[in-house]
Amino acid sequence: MPFMSSDADWVRQLTSCFYYGITGWDMMRTILCFGDSNTYGQIPGQGPLDRYQLCQRWPGVLARELGNAWHVIEEGLSGRTTVRDDPIEGTPKNGRSYLWPCLMSHAPIDLIIIMLGTNDLKIRFNQPASEVAMGIGCLVHDINDLAPGPNAAAPEIMVVSPPPMHDDLKEWEQIFRDAPRKSRELALQFEILADSLEVHFFDAGSVASCDPIDGFHMNSEAHEALGSALAREVEAIGWK
Amino acid sequence: MPDMRFAPPNPLRIADRAAGLNAVSVRSYNERLVLSLLLQKEATTRLEIGERTGLSAQTVSVLVRSLEQEGLVAKGPAQRGRIGPPTVPIVLNPEGAFSVGISIGKRHIDLVLIDFVGEARFHSRLPHPRTDPGNNHSRFLETIRAAITMLPETARTRLAGVGLALPRNETGERDEGIHALQEEIEAQLGISLFIQNDITAAASGESMFGAAKSLTDYMFFYLGAKLHGRLVLNHQIYNGNSALSFDVGIDALEAELSEREKPLEPLWDSSDDWSAYRGLIDGWEDGVVDQLKQSLAAVTQFVECETIILSSCVPLGIRQDICRKLQHSLPGVSAIIGKPTPSPKAVGAASLPFSSRFTVE
Repeated sequence: MPFMSSDADWVRQLTSCFYYGITGWDMMRTILCFGDSNTYGQIPGQGPLDRYQLCQRWPGVLARELGNAWHVIEEGLSGRTTVRDDPIEGTPKNGRSYLWPCLMSHAPIDLIIIMLGTNDLKIRFNQPASEVAMGIGCLVHDINDLAPGPNAAAPEIMVVSPPPMHDDLKEWEQIFRDAPRKSRELALQFEILADSLEVHFFDAGSVASCDPIDGFHMNSEAHEALGSALAREVEAIGWK
Repeated sequence: MPDMRFAPPNPLRIADRAAGLNAVSVRSYNERLVLSLLLQKEATTRLEIGERTGLSAQTVSVLVRSLEQEGLVAKGPAQRGRIGPPTVPIVLNPEGAFSVGISIGKRHIDLVLIDFVGEARFHSRLPHPRTDPGNNHSRFLETIRAAITMLPETARTRLAGVGLALPRNETGERDEGIHALQEEIEAQLGISLFIQNDITAAASGESMFGAAKSLTDYMFFYLGAKLHGRLVLNHQIYNGNSALSFDVGIDALEAELSEREKPLEPLWDSSDDWSAYRGLIDGWEDGVVDQLKQSLAAVTQFVECETIILSSCVPLGIRQDICRKLQHSLPGVSAIIGKPTPSPKAVGAASLPFSSRFTVE
């Protein structure tokens, strides 16, 4: 299926190209959504390849809500950690080593939204919520060092704390032993970190929750709520 | 040596979720900058805050979130323009802070409780403004207490303080009564007291909540028993060493009316009804207008000043007449009626704790 868009969508897209042709393509802004399975759009309680449609996943909702002046890039990988090499799932799941080339691939980027942390709570890493926040801090430092924003400046960064896990994690209970409790501390630890490093912050748990069917993945309603809420947060930043 | 970039996070603010206002010492200069902007305008945006303060978008985001959590500011609904991203206005939360203002006048005491946008939630007028120690302090303190109990329990922690507006002390002596009163209020009610000259306080209330909110340069006049003026440049109220007052105010009118044996009560009882004097006050109004013109002429020799604000307790119709007459004889000058009610001086007094706790000097 080459095109998903209806005729009306085509007309709108062509019109917007025309419009941005006049005012310059530099008007177009880029957002990178860097996350884990809840950014990938993993369907709760289903197999690893069962993924929500682009328009259902929160980055897709965000793109729809922000309109044609924004280019929203999805970078969600199931099992991704902030800065940790996973001895079971392998080093590709380390968010830190992937982020650098990823930023270079998409620069210039106006805004990077990071929603990670759930996978760092696996018992194999044995980390408290505050150490997970330190991992997010690492990513913020890396982004500022690389400065992949417009004119080689540091871009805007928004740290998003993931929605807390449910206590009943079904067959994942052993892997995530003690993680639900820690997951409820992430919002405060991430906010302290965001305030300290002076970056934007949003608590996804304030608008969305995980589906009880597996206890830690967001369903399509949660994606819709999060994408819409983040669109309002992005607008509120105040772009010139 | 550890790499200090990876030191434990040291947030700009205390990221707790406790209700109530932060302690005075915790409020950062930058938070005050943001609140000062909001007290000057009805609404602002994060973009505008960034442009006016020079702070980065991310720093502004941290500050605004902190003030939002503290309940001092709130997000308005997004405004969608024809092109470009929508703007999200930020406004002061009226319930964010409260303040008590007391104005001690020649004939009575006015006491108001105002919210964070200057609306009076409580007003009371007491006779016999005697401040000698041990006189009617208990009644005075009771009234302040009554004002505070108007607030729901949860909002009492949001009381910024008590402001006291006093008339100029002609003798220049230290008023022991006021000093005793201050001690009593602070000790018995546990609230900080801020004292200011009453005319300057009225000007400050006008600048924070009234017609002058968005103005930077203007002359402020208060028409009471006498006529008093203050020059305001770039939001700064100049008190001056010789705070002049002119005897063209209600005292002068009273003298004139008593010669004609007219009832004098309506002049002072705030009934807002001067119909008994119909046809008799035209000349008095002209005298006020002449004095306003002279003061303005004197000031405009040095600075450009095209706006005057007239604050007063005289009936609205009279204030309108004076402004109209002034504008008529000085084209190009705009004369605006002061906004804070019910007592401009008391509302002004109540603005003092806000300036002291939430704004940059």
